Amino acid sequence: MAVTLVATGGLREYTGGLQELEVAAGPTVKEMLGTLGIRPELVAAVMRNRELVSKDYRPEDGETVVLVAVLGGG
Amino acid sequence: MYGYAGRVLRVDLTRGIITREPTPEAVVRDYLGARGMGAYLLWTEVPKRTDPLGPGNKLFLSTGPLSGTLFPGAGKMDFTTKSPLTGGYAGASMGGMLAAELKYAGYDAVILEGISPRPVYLYIDDERVELRPADAYWGQGSLTLEKRLKDELGEDFQIATIGPAGEKLVKYACISHDFGRQAGRGGVGTVMGAKKLKAIAVRGSGGIPIADTAEFVRLAREAYRACKEAEGLEAWTRYGTMMVTSWCNENAALPTRNFQSGTFEQGASIYASVHRKTIVVTDKACFGCPSPCGKYSHSKKHNIYVEGPEYETNGMLGSDLGLGDIEDIAKANQLCDELGLDSISTGGTIAWAMECYEKGILNREQSGGLDLRFGNAEAVFDLIDRVAHRDGWLGNLLAEGVKRAASAVGQDSEKWAVHVKGMEQSAYDTHSATSMLLAYMTADVGAHHNRAWAITYDLAVGRDRVTPEKAAKVIELQHIRPLMDTLGCCRLQWVELGMPLSCYAPALQALTGVQRSWEDLLHISERIWNLTRMVWVREVEGFGRAWDSPATRFVREPAVGGVTDGKLTPPLAAQQMLDYYYEQRGWDANGIPTSETLQRLGLSDLVGDRSAWR
Repeated sequence: MAVTLVATGGLREYTGGLQELEVAAGPTVKEMLGTLGIRPELVAAVMRNRELVSKDYRPEDGETVVLVAVLGGG
Repeated sequence: MYGYAGRVLRVDLTRGIITREPTPEAVVRDYLGARGMGAYLLWTEVPKRTDPLGPGNKLFLSTGPLSGTLFPGAGKMDFTTKSPLTGGYAGASMGGMLAAELKYAGYDAVILEGISPRPVYLYIDDERVELRPADAYWGQGSLTLEKRLKDELGEDFQIATIGPAGEKLVKYACISHDFGRQAGRGGVGTVMGAKKLKAIAVRGSGGIPIADTAEFVRLAREAYRACKEAEGLEAWTRYGTMMVTSWCNENAALPTRNFQSGTFEQGASIYASVHRKTIVVTDKACFGCPSPCGKYSHSKKHNIYVEGPEYETNGMLGSDLGLGDIEDIAKANQLCDELGLDSISTGGTIAWAMECYEKGILNREQSGGLDLRFGNAEAVFDLIDRVAHRDGWLGNLLAEGVKRAASAVGQDSEKWAVHVKGMEQSAYDTHSATSMLLAYMTADVGAHHNRAWAITYDLAVGRDRVTPEKAAKVIELQHIRPLMDTLGCCRLQWVELGMPLSCYAPALQALTGVQRSWEDLLHISERIWNLTRMVWVREVEGFGRAWDSPATRFVREPAVGGVTDGKLTPPLAAQQMLDYYYEQRGWDANGIPTSETLQRLGLSDLVGDRSAWR
């Protein structure tokens, strides 16, 4: 099991174009962003089960977390 | 003329005469509609240096070609006038249902001129158009009157109203509609109040002619599908613009205590997640919207219902006043809506007064007994009411806006009067965000964010950098975003959901039958931008570079706390950004469009000799 990160909008520039990618559970969302090279300020919000969570949230195995880009367009 | 109702309604309030005119084809060709038509009418119909509150000023309601169609977010219209707040161009965009209803009634625009001898409201029911007495409504709140008129006329009428603030000529009174949508900025409601026009009620039963119906429906559906399949749809719909509150706070962009800081220590208590869980009752959409950002809320603490707060109100009536309880912000929001005040300017003006109070420049006697320390919600509620009614010395002072208030009080208080061109800055701290600072400096109504939400670009490329590319980005956004106001549709489907810009030109072509590329549309948008600039040149004596100065706070006084602690934008850096901007715009060093630029944009004949307006 792992955590599924869903990257939206321009954030996919940092995921090699992938919409979804799996990462190991354990770190906070902010730490995961750091590993992926995504600057936290480019992420407007983090959603889990349709609810906003902070970037300090630690996703558990099997969870899906959506990274909402600060801009869809411009 | 496909895509348009084909007629303009002219209402002479002084004489009570109502006439209909064909929508001018040349204006539609060169300015498209809504924002563009409003700018054109302001230039051509309002004489130079007209008193904004006198009979010579006019208020233009204008829809765009997409307004009222199936295209996503096609519920927008513009209100244009000479601003009583700034003395320059005012163009305020409003969503809701009124734009569509007006076109269905058969009118692309309404020109309101003169001053009625008594309070009236404008009744439009297709061909039946009347000025009706409104003495009985004078003094009523915007929300209260909207409900009353719906009760009296029928639920299917769409209503726009002003509140007591408009009647009392508060310089930043708004026009309200659909129980929570406003044409907010620049005092468009003040002008409506000066004309003694309390409300506009519209019902229409017609349609909009479409050049190629099958193709337009196909393209509109395609655009709609792109919105519905957007990955960010769920988040933006569930939380609306409030979602950026946490992002702004993390990045020191959330206005806090009159922009002394961009980081609010109680920020987490006013985030979107708290809003949604605590007080949101339901989502609320404008006409044709696939991603309803409106959040209708109920505060049990104050027993009030309100649409909101949305982000700007959350920032300006919340953190900027030191309020950390979402229900208190909702209450302040509801007061502004009911009284007919622009919540952004109201927040900015009260924040200035609070700082004056904490610095000892305003005392308890001058405040009318109010303890105006930041965070005092009850004092905020009381002061909002006093401003709307111009009650007492302070209420009357703040009703003039922060620039005039600071000028009257003096004692260096201009240094923390956060405005550009006399318009209070909206809810992004710009101590360390040079693109956004430039966007505020150059926005054509004053310090408003909606012309270019460039702060995201600052964060992407380096917030303190001073580069020509940043100026170019601001200009690019100043053409794209106002273009949507010109077309009559909402920008959020593009901004938030990433609906492709390639959707717009083909849909407009199918609607109107006129072939225009995206570049053609941007060229028109640039033409309109330069025309609004020339309005400033014509209306404001000595207008020039100094009017594009940023609020002093961001270039002289470092931010306190958060990730921008100790940072500011050096004055020379702000001026360098302006140099880049003027050069790329084709304006001279004083910020006036050159003759060549006016020629390139097809404005020479309309504007004539630019030096004649100085």
